[in-house]
Amino acid sequence: MRLVTTFTLFASLTVAAVDYSSSLTSGKADMKSAGSLAFGPDGILFVGDSIGAAIFAIDTRDRKSAASSGSVEIAGINEKIAAMLGTAPDQILINDMAVNPLSKNAYLSVSRGKGPDAIPVIVRVSRAGKLEEIPLDKVKHSRADLPNPVEAKKDARGNNLRLDAITDLAFVDGKVFVAGLSNEEFSSNLRSIPFPFKAVEKGASVEIYHGQHGRFETNSPVRTFVPYEIKSEAYLLAAYTCTPLVKFPVSSLKPGTKVMGTTIAELGNRNRPLDMIIYQKGGHDLILMNNSSRGVMKMSAENLDKFEPIKSQVERQGVQYETLAGWKGVEQLDKFDKDNAMMLVRNDGGSLDLKTVALP
Amino acid sequence: MRFLAPILLAPLLLAAPPVRLDGTVFRVSGGGARCEELVISVDAPGDIPALSGSCTVEADGLAFRPKYALQPGLRYRAVYSGAVSMFEIPKRVVTPSAAVVQVFPSSAVIPENILKFYLHFSAPMSRGEAYQHLRLLDAKGAPVALPFLEIDQELWDREGRRLTVLFDPGRIKRGLAPNEEVGLPVTAGGRYTLVIDAGWQDAAGQPLKSEFRKEFLAAEADRTPPDPKTWKITAPTAGKSHPVSLEFPEPMDHALLRSLIEVTTPAGRSIAGSMDVDHEEMRWQFTPADPWKPGEYVVQVARTLEDRAGNTLGRPFDVDVFERVEARILKETVPVYFTVR
Repeated sequence: MRLVTTFTLFASLTVAAVDYSSSLTSGKADMKSAGSLAFGPDGILFVGDSIGAAIFAIDTRDRKSAASSGSVEIAGINEKIAAMLGTAPDQILINDMAVNPLSKNAYLSVSRGKGPDAIPVIVRVSRAGKLEEIPLDKVKHSRADLPNPVEAKKDARGNNLRLDAITDLAFVDGKVFVAGLSNEEFSSNLRSIPFPFKAVEKGASVEIYHGQHGRFETNSPVRTFVPYEIKSEAYLLAAYTCTPLVKFPVSSLKPGTKVMGTTIAELGNRNRPLDMIIYQKGGHDLILMNNSSRGVMKMSAENLDKFEPIKSQVERQGVQYETLAGWKGVEQLDKFDKDNAMMLVRNDGGSLDLKTVALP
Repeated sequence: MRFLAPILLAPLLLAAPPVRLDGTVFRVSGGGARCEELVISVDAPGDIPALSGSCTVEADGLAFRPKYALQPGLRYRAVYSGAVSMFEIPKRVVTPSAAVVQVFPSSAVIPENILKFYLHFSAPMSRGEAYQHLRLLDAKGAPVALPFLEIDQELWDREGRRLTVLFDPGRIKRGLAPNEEVGLPVTAGGRYTLVIDAGWQDAAGQPLKSEFRKEFLAAEADRTPPDPKTWKITAPTAGKSHPVSLEFPEPMDHALLRSLIEVTTPAGRSIAGSMDVDHEEMRWQFTPADPWKPGEYVVQVARTLEDRAGNTLGRPFDVDVFERVEARILKETVPVYFTVR
């Protein structure tokens, strides 16, 4: 997800004289899986392929700005996608959602099938509710292979069992940031990959530590993050796998360095952020996040520069957050336009609805 | 993918030429047939889009080729010029065959700050339903609330045979709100059972052959980083292909024992061979592809090797930064030397 934020906050940085499209070539995007999504410039969609250990840049050719945003409400979107793909709703997984900041069309990464040979599909959902597959067998694209941080050995069957699940992507200041979570070692694995893609350096991951209350620290994986500008400096607001919400300046994320995030909020048990968006309302900057218990939380994104980090256990408070009582079942969240969010919501009947909701 | 013969259920209007299913291709016979008149979809209620695929005009009529394989057990609806035909793809009758073959750590006593389980299955499994089929029960048989880090991106290997289940690190790491509010998922002295229920579907949509249970006793937290000085190496004999073995005083992470250790010459050249982990992950063995030649060898162990609680070589899972427990890490691997005579 996370594209509008990137665009509004970093527009001045990304509108460099780079012809992104010319770095892409036509042909088959050989994706093994389609997971995390994020929009870059000019309708380019970044897709995280965990099984193929790669990031793809796909030219959606969807660059026309929407004259007006309107609203979207498509009930049972998972049933419609399953039907289009010729299968049953329980045989697909919707892995992520991103809204194109130009056209406001929604893009969903889907697995057709649930086993390891599931087919990756990217579906575009127009504001009028029309579904369309992005033809991955013939599309302008480029890929960046993620190096395996350890020279993993093969098992008796000749397989390398180690894999990084790509848990989040964002495009900031000409780079794709990729958060990964290994299925073996517990360590941080955040990479920045300049776009247009070149070879990714093996040592390009940053070691990010989580220091808690000035005492304990772990080499903790970042699970989700969102770019945000504080006093003209680009930051990532990130949620660690072990819960707290932290900030660190993008400029500090240099390969091979040890970076310590500053804790800005402790969200408590059952409140692990899944997606975060930042928006303005009534002259204030706000953060909206959906969490692991499928609820939605709201907090202020202002004065994070002046914010005193949580240092001791008596100062548990941090930035205050509010849980929005009426918002339930939210599995995916992205910004739609300046006044609305787009959400994928699990309804009472168990199917998924795609809809826009006014930002609170 | 093979299909049994489709069943033509109900050609309602006989005036228009019926659609037939020829293998995996929907066909309409006759010259002059038009693709615009043909709509194929899954037979489902509501306003659903047409099936993804391509229609071509061929010598003997129309051919619609679905982009994806037809799904056994589903019914498809073909409408040509107002005439409706239904096609049911028979369900495949498959008996459940997948099973849980092993869970690591394999020991019956596990430190209360355990970081992860590895579940090994005999066949590729379905994604997206792991946490519905995993329960951790206490001694009374009551489920422990939210012991695991439930993430949408389930941590499978490429083949879908091994799932890594992380205990919630926010509850394990000292000083965090979840750790202080609700505490560790398991506590020392308690008896627990990990239950993998039989409803978990394999990649073919079949349930497991049977439920799997692993019982264990939780021991005191392990906050001591593994110390290579306590490891015991047993060198093999020259001219034989017996394994070199490395024994640890505590069980280590099963996957990382296989990923992060290799045998080299002192100059760093890799020795080909295969490895085994046994004795409840307290012994690692390496059998060379060719008989050992006399000389010096090195077992290179990456510093990121973890024990069951996520402590790595020289570094506990959560470091108390005031006490500066952390050792200066200068090299990425710890060498363990042995001589073959």
